Amino acid sequence: MTTLTADHIYATGLRNQWHPVVPSRFVAPGAMRKVTVLGEEWLLFRRSDSTLSMLADRCPHRGAPLSLGKHLGDRVSCWYHGLEIETDGTVSSVPGLPGCNLEGKKLVRSLPVREVGGAVLAYFGDEEHPEPAPLTLPEPLTDPGTDSFLCYAEWNGPWRYAVENLLDPMHGAFLHHESHTMFDGDTTAKFRIRETGRGYFFEKTDQRGVNFDWVELCRTGVDWVDLSIPYPPSAGPGGPFGIVGMVCPVDENRTGVFFWRYRKVEGWQRDSWRFLYRTLIEKRHWEVLEQDRVMLEAMPADADQRENLYQHDLGVVRLRRMYRAEAEAQGAAQVPAQAPAPRH
Amino acid sequence: MTTDWPYLDVHQSRTHEPTPYEYRLASALEEVFTHEGHELADVVRGLNARQVHSPDGAPWTEQSFRDEINRLGA
Repeated sequence: MTTLTADHIYATGLRNQWHPVVPSRFVAPGAMRKVTVLGEEWLLFRRSDSTLSMLADRCPHRGAPLSLGKHLGDRVSCWYHGLEIETDGTVSSVPGLPGCNLEGKKLVRSLPVREVGGAVLAYFGDEEHPEPAPLTLPEPLTDPGTDSFLCYAEWNGPWRYAVENLLDPMHGAFLHHESHTMFDGDTTAKFRIRETGRGYFFEKTDQRGVNFDWVELCRTGVDWVDLSIPYPPSAGPGGPFGIVGMVCPVDENRTGVFFWRYRKVEGWQRDSWRFLYRTLIEKRHWEVLEQDRVMLEAMPADADQRENLYQHDLGVVRLRRMYRAEAEAQGAAQVPAQAPAPRH
Repeated sequence: MTTDWPYLDVHQSRTHEPTPYEYRLASALEEVFTHEGHELADVVRGLNARQVHSPDGAPWTEQSFRDEINRLGA
């Protein structure tokens, strides 16, 4: 594995935690799919019984991408020389040289994976932390009384900008002013940070339940945000809809965004929301999300280098400091210990 | 499943393009929720008052609405 610097980690995503990868439906039973995550190439491989595994997209023989190979049901064979790799990364066969000493060795990196709310999550540990960090899932995705739809989109921009956008609730009153849900509320506000055991709230001090008035950053093995936005009466009973947001750092300038729109609804109220969501509401939510994409993709590359921040940016500043400090710590841990100077 | 970057798909929750009946019912439901209320009785009364009936043409009852919305929204 190459040595990672703090700058590279900050640009491509923190290690030693879980990240979302792609929606589960992107890899059908019996199929495989190449994905880029944290600037690295991976292969998602699903057996016909739906068991999913995630392997480095690199044959241990000559480095050819396994994603160009063949799905053999319970293993993948490299197109270049036919090496067969099991889903745990073990070389099961070297057809050109039976008995070759590569056989039986676990030479391909494989990552722990979980599937949650229709998305694949994977744990990206460095060499010092191969065991997956404990993962606590967002309650809105596990609560049986809460129903959700996943919306996934791919944006050209750094992953941090997508998270920062979520820790900046005030943009809702401007960027999304013409939307079906965020038309209301004051365009001036004061914010505060409120610590929690798993992250922090960034919230307005003087308004709640009107616009995008608060957001909670949660670090529970995977980083996610929780927020709530009122629906107009046309959306029917059940109150506001919530968003669980996660971000996949694809590489330095590409990001996968995962938004689960959720609502506490059961019975006919749940069915009504689901019907309206599919028929009419999903498109309106998409239009709001596109406003974020257009703005973030248009941000200049040095946007976060030449700023003049004010009180509304406390949540963003806090986030950056936290991520930067963690990237520095992870980068420092990667530097090989200096050998003692030779004595003369 | 496409692997082209970027994946930008407006509709990710649908299994089919809604039928004209589904569009009509959805629009009527939004109107009813806006003007009549959020109780099941409001919905049945509001849809029937607007002559937006189930596919068999019968006026809605609470039970027939529950059954149909479950079929459409499950």
